[in-house]
Amino acid sequence: MSESTLATQPRTRPTTLPAPSAAGALTTYSTLLRWTLSQIGAMLPLIIVVQALLAAGIIVGFGFLIPDIDPATALFLSTGAPTVLLLTLGFVMVPQGVARARTDGTFHYMRSMPVWRPLLLAADLTVWVIVALPSVAVAVLVAIWRYRITLSLDWPVLVAGTVLVTVTAAAVGYAIAVTLPPLLAQLVTQVLVFFVLLFSPITFPLEQLPQWFQAVHDWLPARPGADLVRAGLASDTFAASGRDLLVLAAWCVAGLTVSLRALVRRG
Amino acid sequence: MGNAILEVEHLRRRFGAVVANDDVTLEVRPGDVVGLLGHNGAGKTTLVNQLVGLLKPDSGTIRVGDADAVADPAAARRHVALQPQAQAPIDGLTPRRAIELAGRIRGLSARDARAAATALADELDLGPWLDRRALPEGGGLSGGIRRLTSFAMAVAAPMPLLVLDEPTNDIDAARRRLLWDAVRRRGEEGSGVLVVTHNVAEAERVVDDLVILHHGRVVASGSPARLRGTQDSDLRLDLQLQPDGQDPTDDMAAPVVIRRHVRAGRRALLTVATDQASAAVTWATSLRDQGRIDGFALGPVTLEDTYLALTGDARTESTEKEPAHV
Repeated sequence: MSESTLATQPRTRPTTLPAPSAAGALTTYSTLLRWTLSQIGAMLPLIIVVQALLAAGIIVGFGFLIPDIDPATALFLSTGAPTVLLLTLGFVMVPQGVARARTDGTFHYMRSMPVWRPLLLAADLTVWVIVALPSVAVAVLVAIWRYRITLSLDWPVLVAGTVLVTVTAAAVGYAIAVTLPPLLAQLVTQVLVFFVLLFSPITFPLEQLPQWFQAVHDWLPARPGADLVRAGLASDTFAASGRDLLVLAAWCVAGLTVSLRALVRRG
Repeated sequence: MGNAILEVEHLRRRFGAVVANDDVTLEVRPGDVVGLLGHNGAGKTTLVNQLVGLLKPDSGTIRVGDADAVADPAAARRHVALQPQAQAPIDGLTPRRAIELAGRIRGLSARDARAAATALADELDLGPWLDRRALPEGGGLSGGIRRLTSFAMAVAAPMPLLVLDEPTNDIDAARRRLLWDAVRRRGEEGSGVLVVTHNVAEAERVVDDLVILHHGRVVASGSPARLRGTQDSDLRLDLQLQPDGQDPTDDMAAPVVIRRHVRAGRRALLTVATDQASAAVTWATSLRDQGRIDGFALGPVTLEDTYLALTGDARTESTEKEPAHV
């Protein structure tokens, strides 16, 4: 076909383009992570600072509730405070973040891309872990300064416990936000925070609760999570059981499963 | 069918009592730009969401490339890039970074993604904004630049199928043209493109084929020329009615043969044969002189006439008259 006839001839139909080969899991994960971190962007340092201030606030504030606090109580309170922080972050900030992503179209957009769903969740959870972990350090440092407590760190238990508590709380928060309508999700998370702060044996000993309620807490993530982190911070004084680890892990898996189902599910 | 990149057959999806897609069948072949036209609520976005596996059809089939999008939506997503109707989530990102990230997710190497961002910035005249950060609450970048960025993100990597949902919303006239040129170029490079829009005039100039969706059903499909449905010799007499909206053809016989009569707001769009142009002008002039219409215009028939006739405010098809329904 000569150049001159091209214009008048019907154009040749191009062949189908091949589907691009999908990016590798690691590339996708790091790309999503950069994307999510950029979205928080300038707010990230502020969020971390506020979380740290809340951490300090819990240590100092709870101290006001207990006049003439003795060393044992101070140690219990101080080693429980990080768990309170991690749980509230997961139960409140994560659902709010997810709710925002659902309203502004981020959730929809990300799900329309050729991305393996667990990576979407993993990138999101990673960001929350990044936000949460500095506050644990701040809480511990403030406690040392305020109550002169002495810690005996068990690093493997501490790291595993802290990350597991954070991921569990974030996964449960995520699951709530993707499963319930926004207003109901808000209500549920509010109740959860109230429950964590006042009715969970995290900053006070389990024995102060009625027997039946102690049994309930054997199956909820709050007490096992708190005991794990506590055992990591003051291994000389506190110990966690393998059962705690199992209960917490079960909640983590449940939260992840519900979240993933929501990410995969078609309306 | 056969070599189409997108084949939708007998697709049906309802939300409660509302049938959003009712027996929708359409195809997009490689290199074709197909417009999906329809009013708000016609079912366009419902269809789009099923193509990328975010909604599940009640029945019917969708094939994207060699993937069954109903059975295996993840496989289908690898063949399709979507520019959604809502803005892409780029707060905190510069357009350059957003395009690079989107390209990376679709399998481009870091270097290719950077090259794609630069090339797209040239193609869409995004240069001055390329390194300006989008801020929350719509700050930093205008809606038009965000929309262009969203388009660039969708086309960052060459894709077998592009689905663009209202791609030109908020975009200024000059860049709108660049965007349509870019859409055509993707077609020439082999992508099949499905453009969802309610802008009939724009679509008419760009697309190879059109599918008109009304209340969830395909009411017409074919090339713009075919859909116009009249001979090239036909003209459109556009009567601009008075505020009371009284249509002069309601109570008097027109002295010209009206092939089609469409009422659009305070306009009556009449299709007449070219050889009756002078009679039509004389008639319209006298109507205006009598103060029965505000003004008139005579021009070539456009797709808009057909579209309006198919999707609602039509009163007359050919010579028969029906009561107006608005």
